[in-house]
Amino acid sequence: MLIANRGEIALRVIRACREGGVATVAVYSDADRGALHVLQADEAYRLGPAPAAESYLRGHLILDVARRTGADAIHPGYGFLSENAEFAEACAAAGVTFIGPPGSAMRVLGSKTRARQAADAAGMPRVPGSVTGLADVAEAVRVAVGIGYPVMLKAAAGGGGKGMRAVSRAEDLAAAFTAASSEAERSFGSGEVYLEKLIERPRHIEIQLMADEHGSCVYLGERECSVQRRHQKVIEEAPSAVVGEDLRRRMGEAAVRLALSAGYVNAGTVEFLVDDKENFYFLEMNTRLQVEHPVTEMVTGLDLVHLQLRVAMGEPLPLTQEDVRLRGHAIECRIYAEDPENQFFPSPGLITRLIQPSGPGIREDCAVYEGWNVPLDYDPMLSKLVAFGETREQAIDRMVRALGEYVIGGIKTNIGLFRRILMDADFRAARIDTGYLERLLAEPDAPVREDVPEDVVALAAALFAASARRETAAVADLSEESRWAVAGRREGLRL
Amino acid sequence: MGCGGAAGGVASVTVWLEVEGEKRRVELPAEIGGRVECSVDGRPIVADVRVLQAGVMSLLIEGRQYRCVLDGDGVVIGGRRFAFEVTDPRSLQGRRGAGAGTDGPRPVKAPMPGRTVRVLVEVGDEVEEGQALLVIEAMKMQNELKSPKTGRVVKIAVGVGDAVGSGDVLVVVE
Repeated sequence: MLIANRGEIALRVIRACREGGVATVAVYSDADRGALHVLQADEAYRLGPAPAAESYLRGHLILDVARRTGADAIHPGYGFLSENAEFAEACAAAGVTFIGPPGSAMRVLGSKTRARQAADAAGMPRVPGSVTGLADVAEAVRVAVGIGYPVMLKAAAGGGGKGMRAVSRAEDLAAAFTAASSEAERSFGSGEVYLEKLIERPRHIEIQLMADEHGSCVYLGERECSVQRRHQKVIEEAPSAVVGEDLRRRMGEAAVRLALSAGYVNAGTVEFLVDDKENFYFLEMNTRLQVEHPVTEMVTGLDLVHLQLRVAMGEPLPLTQEDVRLRGHAIECRIYAEDPENQFFPSPGLITRLIQPSGPGIREDCAVYEGWNVPLDYDPMLSKLVAFGETREQAIDRMVRALGEYVIGGIKTNIGLFRRILMDADFRAARIDTGYLERLLAEPDAPVREDVPEDVVALAAALFAASARRETAAVADLSEESRWAVAGRREGLRL
Repeated sequence: MGCGGAAGGVASVTVWLEVEGEKRRVELPAEIGGRVECSVDGRPIVADVRVLQAGVMSLLIEGRQYRCVLDGDGVVIGGRRFAFEVTDPRSLQGRRGAGAGTDGPRPVKAPMPGRTVRVLVEVGDEVEEGQALLVIEAMKMQNELKSPKTGRVVKIAVGVGDAVGSGDVLVVVE
């Protein structure tokens, strides 16, 4: 098996292969020669320079490696080539099994507009609004009157929140249309916008699917990913605190209908917005394994990567819908190399210290080690910390405990931010929606010293400083002032 | 930091620090290890100190255990990171707030290595505090660097596409 990816997901797949007795081939860029996925695989081959466009995104180079090594399957992980229909088809043409859906299903479900049409055909509810771009303000007014205010204008070529405007009153629509359209033009080179009903305070809830090539498809419960920042998931959990048996079944069956209608095979995820009246609306389908798949694994007891491999080999699914049982609660925190106290700037660099959490209910899917230099060329995710408990409360408590054990030194991380979220009363009460985290971040942070006395912090800092000074004094007879400077530099302290 | 005689005649070391922005004076005995008598801002503390490995230390104080991990210019205790800085007592006066004023030129430095993807201002532009000056990309994320003050752009040191190193001065606002 060739793993066409890097980071924790490459390790995750290598582990599944090793458990199944499958030999693994890693590929790497120049920045990743020392990366964990290279160290863990049976074989490893260089693709090219650090930029992904010159390494991990070069499908023909990856297929060359497959040919040279005799790999008969490729797992794309997530990101990079995982949702690239041409690559999936190139694999098939080369006689290499692509661990994922066929290119044809990817083409239907990977495109926003075609997926919406497929969702309509499958009887899937989606947010009311225009399917195509609006010609002018007059058309926007007509559509808005039809679906009722508030509405949301969105760039057709959109992403990252650009070209979006919420409008709650008819008299504001014309100005918002002009603003959204010109912003979309500037951002994406196309001023086309469409209009949807605004779902207020929606929750982001998604259904995990697994389908085989014999026409069977099961849904494996839902994940709630409402804790987001700039439309990026930050915390995911399974099950959702607001999804009961009936809603789960309705969402799951709708997702399965969509997958079957598109000839879908392998793991996939259908994403929904859910409002406070338990209405759910189709957002999009992700035609790959997702970052947050571990929380589903924890509550179903299934190994999704193992299932992916078996399904890709043509085996029928080893379970039916009745066999899927959910137990307990799981939460995942995405640990990033970024600085929440400084506008979330990325923080690549040398990991000088790594103390990893463990203990009951804790799983860490990690791609770093002490001495690894986190490159600036890729996504900043360092690891995924997952906590399992019999109840949501226990899972949260275990996560807080594990975050307290976790030390990643040398670079900045968002570990401290997770403690803040997990201690927040609204999060603990599951009063969350897709705007929750932005609201929390807008509030002043609580004082951070309630547990550790200030004098203890000062003492510890002084002890470290004094021991650095003593080491330095032993090697050089310098003036008091320069010993200071040397000691400071030695420990990276600012003087 | 300096050596001197503490009360009782035991040789001691004094460490001046700023921890999370607060000034602290810590007295330590000359020999560190095992049970030590210290003080913070004159308040006595008895601690059992054990260095577990370079940069990792266990402190037992009144039976409470604190695992302390040195992380650059910070110490991590109980999952929290506390920034600290060793300060020279001779320069304590007047050093607080240096560079934080609104007068004079203020450099905008790269917070991490990356690549400049957009420059949003030109030399001579009047800018507001918090106004975006340029965008740099690292780790697949684009980050706006904002003006630290209201003033005029007097220098732009980078162009679109340039690689920047951590700490490089990119723009100067006066």
